[in-house]
Amino acid sequence: MSEQQPTPQPQQDGPDTAPTGTGSQQSALVSRRDLMTLLIGSGASFALAATLASPLDNLIDELLDTRANTGYAKGESPHHWAMVIDLSKCVGCDYCVYACQATNDTREDMRWNIRVEDETPTGNVFHVTRPCLHCNNAPCVHVCPVGATYYRADGLVVMDYDRCIGCRYCQTACPYGARTFNWEERDDENPYTPEFGRPEISRRDRGVVEKCTFCIHRIDAGLAAGLMPGVDEAATPACVNICPVTARYFGDMNDPNSEVSRIIAEMPTLRLREDLGTEPNVYYIPAEGMSI
Amino acid sequence: MTATTAPNTQLNRPARNRFPWFWLWIAGLTAVLGVGVATAIHVLIEGLAVTNLSNELPWGLWITLDLSAIGLGAGAFTLSAAVYIFGMHRYEAIARAAVFVGLLGYSSAMMALFLDIGRPDRFYHPLLYWNLHSVLWEITMCVMLYFTVLAIELLPIFIESTALKRIDWLVALSHRLHRLMPIVAVVGMGLSLLHQSSLGATYGILTARPVWTSPSAPVLFILSAIAAGVSLTLFVSLLGSYIMRKQLVPSDVLRDVARIAGFAALAYLYLKIWSWAATNYYSEIPGRELGLEVLTENTPYNYTFWFGEVLFGALIPAVILLWGRLRRNPRNVMIATLMIVIGLVLNRWNMTLSGFVVPLDWTPGTATLPPNTYTPNLVEILVSAGIVAYSWLVFSLGLRFLNLYPDARKLEQVEIVTID
Repeated sequence: MSEQQPTPQPQQDGPDTAPTGTGSQQSALVSRRDLMTLLIGSGASFALAATLASPLDNLIDELLDTRANTGYAKGESPHHWAMVIDLSKCVGCDYCVYACQATNDTREDMRWNIRVEDETPTGNVFHVTRPCLHCNNAPCVHVCPVGATYYRADGLVVMDYDRCIGCRYCQTACPYGARTFNWEERDDENPYTPEFGRPEISRRDRGVVEKCTFCIHRIDAGLAAGLMPGVDEAATPACVNICPVTARYFGDMNDPNSEVSRIIAEMPTLRLREDLGTEPNVYYIPAEGMSI
Repeated sequence: MTATTAPNTQLNRPARNRFPWFWLWIAGLTAVLGVGVATAIHVLIEGLAVTNLSNELPWGLWITLDLSAIGLGAGAFTLSAAVYIFGMHRYEAIARAAVFVGLLGYSSAMMALFLDIGRPDRFYHPLLYWNLHSVLWEITMCVMLYFTVLAIELLPIFIESTALKRIDWLVALSHRLHRLMPIVAVVGMGLSLLHQSSLGATYGILTARPVWTSPSAPVLFILSAIAAGVSLTLFVSLLGSYIMRKQLVPSDVLRDVARIAGFAALAYLYLKIWSWAATNYYSEIPGRELGLEVLTENTPYNYTFWFGEVLFGALIPAVILLWGRLRRNPRNVMIATLMIVIGLVLNRWNMTLSGFVVPLDWTPGTATLPPNTYTPNLVEILVSAGIVAYSWLVFSLGLRFLNLYPDARKLEQVEIVTID
């Protein structure tokens, strides 16, 4: 949305198109003074329209934009991060859950990454783990009254904890239950540290909503240090690194050679609740016995 | 209601012999308000963990209170519009009271919201950081602006009813404001049409929760708000009439306003039934049938919807208010308007809870998550009671000390309020 539409330049060749025969003949219909007023007036209007056109155009675009693309961070990114989770491989060991909890220092009942036991229509049990899906068309971004949740140019849906007022409408709107609220000041022990990792970010204040960030701190620091998220462990989300059966992949969708790009291109994958049009950036490889 | 039971043979009784029922009532409300304030301070210190809300069901009693209070405040814009936009100046006899009720509703809602957000210290953020795509942003802005509109509408009444009327420039300001009223009423109506509907949209737009998803939710919200807002104003006016032994509002105005409430309830009922039929009976929206099944199994939703909201909250009162013979008895009108008011509160509760009770369906397989449950705890109830006590307290004081009913007369017949 940030790219500016080129504004059509108003025609400045007014005098050439002036009606012929009126100027010199002192016509009774239009006097020289009227003509000058008309020309200056229309010139000024054009100038005014030209200066206002671009901001007005942006405002109208913004108002009419039904896809709720507000909050796109300024600037551009060559990357678009995505995750692939292989349901046919997942054994339900919960290591990704614990690693996330240790790394992001979440509370036991406020996990960012959860596991649910699921069943195929034929009764085969499998495990679904669910981080935040970082939707391209995220209901949480749409509804936030203060724009505290926003899209980054690299596709991540992130939160500004300093802006959040704690109204919990994003929690209400998220189709995946991926958001948790800090009902009270944290003073709990983290049971999964140091075995599954150490806290890499500070705890969130009471009264704000939080959710999975795809370990944004690792991505940003890693890229700055010349590492590639999804390839170099230090720049990759904790849940992906720890998986003992390599059921999780992370990488750049904009790079056709990245592992996630190749899997999505070659394998049948599904995304949760495609029917809602949220376009998540987490793709699932179906479990055995599942139909897509 | 209690004061009406004592028979009174004299119209002008000496005031000194009366038991101070009024001040007893005020003291009782102040006590409830005090407990509410103390509980609210407890919430501010300890955080929202002291409520029964959860991550699965993050909105509850306070949101219901907030939606109800705003809905019940809709009499203000409806009757102001009638007086100042459509030139029906007869209704000024009740419009002032409606504006006063509206102010109390909106201030109550703002109190509930202030406590319900996790960071009350950032309540002003929507003013600074705009998200044009958020209905909640629009609602916040409209509610703040409309509260200002109500205050402007009420200021002249406040000035003329109190000692402030001795200050010349204030009186001059009041007259000037009064002349601006048509413009203020237009602004107020615009703001109300926006946010009253958007409150319904808050739920209606959430496609992930099939029980909520509905394009008619915004219109249902505003229609029910008009019906119940007018009803509440009518109810408190009649109640005040009985207690103060005055015909506060002329009987022809009472009759016509009762009919407005009746027609609004009927319009609400019509859309409500069609909204139900179109999305539940004649079509199948994915997940909705399952959602309603979960609701019926785990909550009394089926009964509260059909008997509470539809029959008790709209159909029966609409019949009473529109059938001349029934409407003529003021007590029937009081019962009917109270039913509509309760119907709206019940609807806002059902609306809030129904969407949350049904679990989200995001798992790729056939597993379903367990339904979510919620019962408000004592903290939530005490705070809500405090807010309700605040509005009754201020209304009682207003009834006594403000000139809310410009056409009030002493009752001609003892104790009988008349409705044409």
